[in-house]
Amino acid sequence: MMELVSLTKSYDGVSVVKDVSLTVENDEYLTILGPSGSGKSTLLRVIAGLEWPESGTVFLDGLDIGDQLPHVRGLGFVQQKYALFPHLTIFENVAFGLRNRQTDPLRDENEVRRRTLDMLHLVGLDDLGGRMVGQISGGQKQRVSLARTLVAEPKICLLDEPLGALDANLRERMTVELRRIREALGVTFVHATGNEAEAMAMGDRMVVLDNGRSLQIGSPDQIYDLPASVQVARSLNAYNVMAGDTREGVFYHIGHPLPLPPGILDARYYAVRFGSLSILEAGGKADASDGSIEAAFIASEFVGSRMVYFFRDDHGDILEVEQHLSRSDPLDFSLGERRMLAWPVAEVLAFDAAGDLIAGTSRGIAA
Amino acid sequence: MSNTAITEQAPINSATRGNQHGLLRGKRHYLLLAPGVFWMLVFLVLPLLMMVYVSFWTQSTFAVSPDLTIKSWVAFFSSDTYFGALIRTLRIWLTVLALTLVIGYPTALFIGQFVRNKNTQTVLLVTCVVPFWTSFLIRVLAWRPMLGKEGAINILLQKFGITSQPIEVLLFTELSVVIGMVQIYVVFMVGPIAFMLARIDESLIEAARDLGASAWTIFRKIILPLSMPGVVVGAIFVSVMVLGEFATASALSGRKVNLLGNIILTQVGSLKWAFAAVIGVVLTVVMAIVITGLLRVVNLRREL
Repeated sequence: MMELVSLTKSYDGVSVVKDVSLTVENDEYLTILGPSGSGKSTLLRVIAGLEWPESGTVFLDGLDIGDQLPHVRGLGFVQQKYALFPHLTIFENVAFGLRNRQTDPLRDENEVRRRTLDMLHLVGLDDLGGRMVGQISGGQKQRVSLARTLVAEPKICLLDEPLGALDANLRERMTVELRRIREALGVTFVHATGNEAEAMAMGDRMVVLDNGRSLQIGSPDQIYDLPASVQVARSLNAYNVMAGDTREGVFYHIGHPLPLPPGILDARYYAVRFGSLSILEAGGKADASDGSIEAAFIASEFVGSRMVYFFRDDHGDILEVEQHLSRSDPLDFSLGERRMLAWPVAEVLAFDAAGDLIAGTSRGIAA
Repeated sequence: MSNTAITEQAPINSATRGNQHGLLRGKRHYLLLAPGVFWMLVFLVLPLLMMVYVSFWTQSTFAVSPDLTIKSWVAFFSSDTYFGALIRTLRIWLTVLALTLVIGYPTALFIGQFVRNKNTQTVLLVTCVVPFWTSFLIRVLAWRPMLGKEGAINILLQKFGITSQPIEVLLFTELSVVIGMVQIYVVFMVGPIAFMLARIDESLIEAARDLGASAWTIFRKIILPLSMPGVVVGAIFVSVMVLGEFATASALSGRKVNLLGNIILTQVGSLKWAFAAVIGVVLTVVMAIVITGLLRVVNLRREL
């Protein structure tokens, strides 16, 4: 178990990580979701000991490791750029830690060989041990980098955007691979990513990081269903967020009235999931109880099992509508075509002026 | 010689690419090599062959005649003066090479690894070349008032009471030749090594640290091997220049230390062409062996 206690780090007076506290359980897959510049890389580097925090510390199994140098912490760090040693073979790269670590290096070459080959087998690179780094592909480099870290059996493995440099189909394969490898070894993964789908798909729990602050920690479906704040809702890239204010139980998005669940009086942000929106027939009218807004079609995107349609409302806000193709066929719109977008009021989340979720939101109660 | 070995690759590559682009059809891209090949044949290969040939000519007091003999070769290897010069040349070369490495590597390590700002790196490397802003001769001769019996170093040593007598071995000895050469050639060691070190990605060192390696292990297993191409290139520069040296030796040794280069100079001066050719061949062979040996250390083609 690892505990981060109010870690803070700044560069040239600009804080990059602000007072982050967090408990990482044993044998779990924790993802850290944050846009670039949110401080997720720095946070991992501070945990690994590659950067020193200004304040706060890290406990590993109850032991304060805040003062320890990276090479004695017993944490593994998989660099974003793989950082493989170009002058060594794949085998030698993976065996590097076993042979050269300061504490308890393996002197028995047979043991080094056995463990390295086992690890290469686990990551599916059995035949490539003799190759040089320049002779393998990006996806293979990713696996070598992972194998090199995991072979030393770290208590916790930190991964800095491990899939960031891979192309889309490789990414998907590695997603499955990473989970399989982690489960096979029972080691804890802390995986930083800027991709919300990746964070939600891979994490047992996820942390939403923005601007150096941890905004919410929880299971992906918890966070997805009930983002604690409007920033979280935005970073999930799954909610249409509209700003405005509330008068007598009705939300006004720059003058346009939108119905709120009962009992909400002070909403400043109004959020509906992409998937909760439906596009009405041309000239159709929404149910009086539903929320609705008229918007012009901009573009659509085919994403395998679903379609995503982009509309722009009269205030210039982009609204996204997600339609699962298992339920209906893809629709065709012409550019600029105006349609009513509607959603059940029960799907609405409301946030107050500070950006925090308002407890009375009905979906919140249901969940 | 090493240069031809490395640059050979480039024309061949661009030639095949030229083929694909259809810039030059058929085998016409080989024409691109013509000027270079012509130049090298006429001014390098032919003279080299000529030198080997002349080394077997018969030498009389004031003339050479093309009657083949091995007398000059026998004379070279049986004379203490000349064979001794070969040994001395090799000894000074090894000393200078070792010193430039010992002095140059830490400097390069500082510039390449610990100065992270590219501009500062450039400024520091340029600073290393400042001595080259004066002419070679002035640079060498400036050592005389420095190392002489009444030179700066002796005056300082005596003034601070470290020595009571002036140290005489400082000038006009092998030591002064070594000092002079190291000062001139160390920069050729620093440059290539610093260049290679600066190319090592910081993340490699972080990865090695994270894998548990201590600073010394990281240097030995990561930094040193990755900088070896720089060491080899620097060593080739220094070797080629030191092995062919004569000016530093004659200016700083008072003609007491004769290297192969100095002997070639005097032999040519006294019109002993056959004998000069023998030494020329010996020197060329030594350099070829040294460079081949150095290139064996690292596969430059793979690393650069």
